[in-house]
Amino acid sequence: MTEKKNDKLFIIIAGLVIGVIAAALAFAGNPKNMGFCIACFLRDTAGGLGLHRAAPVQYIRPEIIGIVIGAFCASFAKKEFSSKGGSAPMTRFVLGFFAMVGCLMFLGCPFRMILRLAGGDLNAVFGLVGFVVGIFCGIFFLKNGYSLKRTYTLTKSEGYWMTILEVVIFALLLIKPAFIFFSEEGAGPGAMHAAIALSLGAGLVVGVLAQRTRLCMVGGMRDLVLFKESRLLLGFLAILVAAFITNLVLGGFKLGMMEQPVAHTDGLWNALGMLLVGFACVLLGGCPLRQLVMSGEGNADSAVTVLGLMVGAAFCHNFGLASSAEGPTPAGKIAVIIGIIVVACIGILNTYVKEKAAEAAADAA
Amino acid sequence: MHFGSIRYERLCKSKGLEARTMPVPRSLSSSCGTCVKYKAEEPLYDPDHDEMEQMVICNDDGSYTQIYLAEGL
Repeated sequence: MTEKKNDKLFIIIAGLVIGVIAAALAFAGNPKNMGFCIACFLRDTAGGLGLHRAAPVQYIRPEIIGIVIGAFCASFAKKEFSSKGGSAPMTRFVLGFFAMVGCLMFLGCPFRMILRLAGGDLNAVFGLVGFVVGIFCGIFFLKNGYSLKRTYTLTKSEGYWMTILEVVIFALLLIKPAFIFFSEEGAGPGAMHAAIALSLGAGLVVGVLAQRTRLCMVGGMRDLVLFKESRLLLGFLAILVAAFITNLVLGGFKLGMMEQPVAHTDGLWNALGMLLVGFACVLLGGCPLRQLVMSGEGNADSAVTVLGLMVGAAFCHNFGLASSAEGPTPAGKIAVIIGIIVVACIGILNTYVKEKAAEAAADAA
Repeated sequence: MHFGSIRYERLCKSKGLEARTMPVPRSLSSSCGTCVKYKAEEPLYDPDHDEMEQMVICNDDGSYTQIYLAEGL
């Protein structure tokens, strides 16, 4: 019992620390209500590497690098690092791809949704409603036996690749070779960033804490509904409270729907975007933050998911699917609808079709 | 363990065992998985169930004793 209590206390403290860091980063140079956003930062990084050419959103974000390396170090120190994978990698890639389509419709991952709520952005309330509905859609399949099958131990080197990749990308950020793209001053969110050391340090702290606590924005709601277990949700709430208070103290709180930073006011599509995110992430077993952390722990499936997120981000900007402050695009709306259908199909294929095959095998025996 | 746990819970219940699906304790696995806690005299192995990663006995002092680990894990 005491172990359980300590667990809860630890995740609350970790959530509070992460909330303060995330809100404070927006005052250290990051875009408003975007101290952290896994989706936006993967998108910026994809842009920095030239995978898309949307000039306002190109920057190699050290926060992402910090999270992966922080999670790697924490898992390594605690002997939890292990090369694992083999649980439906391509399905995870596709789920990651469409999770990003949903994120860029809403303009933020679940983490940034919390930060937007904490900054008084009421558009995020629509996002939250959609997010919860999406999680319930995912839980429906979980309850009926959805599974991507188990993971396997892979060759030792497999688990290091994501961390190595992040180190290389960090080197590119420092060296700034000519083939790397950075948004020019005033071009957009990509040009707004804290000092590299500060961003990296913040990422490292969040990476370590998230690895130790297993913090997950999707897992919180899922565990509460499925198992009446509130631990992960406490972390989610702690981030919200800490970021809210930090915003109040530093003067970043602005209640309302209009003219919120890097946000649009289309409630329906804010909700549908996050519905897609919640749905896809439950089927993945974790939010984008959690995927990053697990990729640092050596999980190749999560690494593939992160690549799916990045490729998704690149497509979103190349095909004009991503929303902007002006609102969603027609192509983006179509992509979100397609995404919801594809994710539902993945749910059906890995729940009912498989169950039938298992039943047939049992009958034959 | 993991997603297959809900099916395993059904199997336990079909054998009249008291079982409950819950998140995997942090000390056992770091991946956001699920597990089934059940009460039985004998461990329940299911040859058709290829998703189980490990099975442990919950000791009275809160620690775990591993009694099964899937191949290749």
